[in-house]
Amino acid sequence: MVVSYLKSIHKKIGSFLNGLFSKKKDIRLGLYGPPNAGKSTLANTICKDWLGEEMSSVSGIAHETREIIVKDKIVIENNGKKLTFNLVDTPGIATKIDYADFVKKGIKKHDAKTRAKEATRGVIEAIKWLDNMDVVVVVLDSTQDPVDQVNVTILGNLEARGIPVLVAANKCDLKSSDVTEIRNAFPQYEVIGISAKARENIDYLYERLFEVLR
Amino acid sequence: MKDISIKLMPYERIKSIGIKNILSDLKKNTIVVVDAKLSPKEEADLIQETMEEVSDSFSGIEIGSFDVSDEEDAGFFSQMRGRLAEFLLGKKRGLTVIGPAEMIKKIKKDPQELMFYLK
Ligand SMILES: Nc1nc2c(ncn2[C@@H]2O[C@H](COP(=O)(O)OP(=O)(O)O)[C@@H](O)[C@H]2O)c(=O)[nH]1
Ligand SMILES: [Mg+2]
Repeated sequence: MVVSYLKSIHKKIGSFLNGLFSKKKDIRLGLYGPPNAGKSTLANTICKDWLGEEMSSVSGIAHETREIIVKDKIVIENNGKKLTFNLVDTPGIATKIDYADFVKKGIKKHDAKTRAKEATRGVIEAIKWLDNMDVVVVVLDSTQDPVDQVNVTILGNLEARGIPVLVAANKCDLKSSDVTEIRNAFPQYEVIGISAKARENIDYLYERLFEVLR
Repeated sequence: MKDISIKLMPYERIKSIGIKNILSDLKKNTIVVVDAKLSPKEEADLIQETMEEVSDSFSGIEIGSFDVSDEEDAGFFSQMRGRLAEFLLGKKRGLTVIGPAEMIKKIKKDPQELMFYLK
C-alpha cells in the first residue's frame, strides 16, 4: 500500500518535472492565415515528414478546420540540430462567414448553418490562441490578392506581441501563383514560396524556421 | 437598392465607446469611416465581436484601411515627424473603412488609396 502510494507520488513528481521541462523546451509553432490558404495541408506535410502521419483534415471548401488542432512533440532536425515543436493548426481567420457560400459548394442548408456557426467560434479561438505562440508561419495563398485586410490584421497582431513570423506564400506549384506580389505587399517580412501539397521548398522553410528561432 | 448610410467617426470616439459598439451600425447597412488606422488589437477585437454576431441575416464585415506612415519614400525627417505626431496624438495616421459584408462586393487597396465596390 505504502509502496504503491510512494510510487504514485514518484510518478506525479516525474510527470510534473517533465511538464516543466517540456514547457521550457518545446516550441509552439502556429500556422495562421485566411481560410483555404493551405494551413492544414502544411500541417500534414510537416507531420508526415517527422511523424509519418497526418494531423488535419483538408478540403477545397473553406473553414474545414473549425477547431484548434495540436500535435505535440514533433522533433524536427535541421543541419544536425534538433528542436521539439508543438504544432498548432488553426481555423482560418475571416471577417465574414456566409453559410450560403457553403450551400453553393453543395452542403445541405442545415449543415451549412452548423458549419458557419462552428467556423465563427473557430475564428474567435484562433485569435485567442495568438497569445500562446512562440513562432508563427502565416500561410497565404499566393494565387490570391495578398492585401486582404485579414492578412494585415494577423501580421499586425503578431508583431504587436513580438512573435517571430515567417510568411509562407503557398501553392507556388500553381501557374497563377505570384510570390513576388506577396513580397511587395509585405516588404518587412521574410516571404518563402512553398507548395505544401507538392512539398516544394519545405526544407528551406525548416531552415529559415531554425534561423528565426536562434 | 437598399438604403446606405455612411457614418464618419473620429478615432477618439471609437476609443471612448469601444470598438464593438460600431457593430450595431454595421448591422444596419451603415458604412463606418474612422480617421485613423485601428490598432492590431482593435482589429482583432472587432473581428471577434463580429464573429459573435454572425447570423443568417448578418454574415460579417469587410475592413479596409491604410496607414499613412506606410509611405516608403518619405524622408527620414518626415518619418520621424510622423512618428512623433502619432505618439502625441495617440493614434496611427491613416484611415479605416468598415462595412457590412452584405453590401460590399470587394475592396481594392492601391497602397495609399482604398476603393470600395458596393453590391
Ligand atoms: N495546388 C495546391 N493546392 C493546395 C496547396 N496547399 C493546399 N492546397 C489546397 O487548398 C485547399 C485548402 O487547403 P487546406 O489545407 O484545407 O487549407 P486551410 O483552410 O488553410 O487549412 C485544399 O483543396 C488543398 O488541397 C498547394 O501547395 N498547392
Ligand atoms: Mg485547415
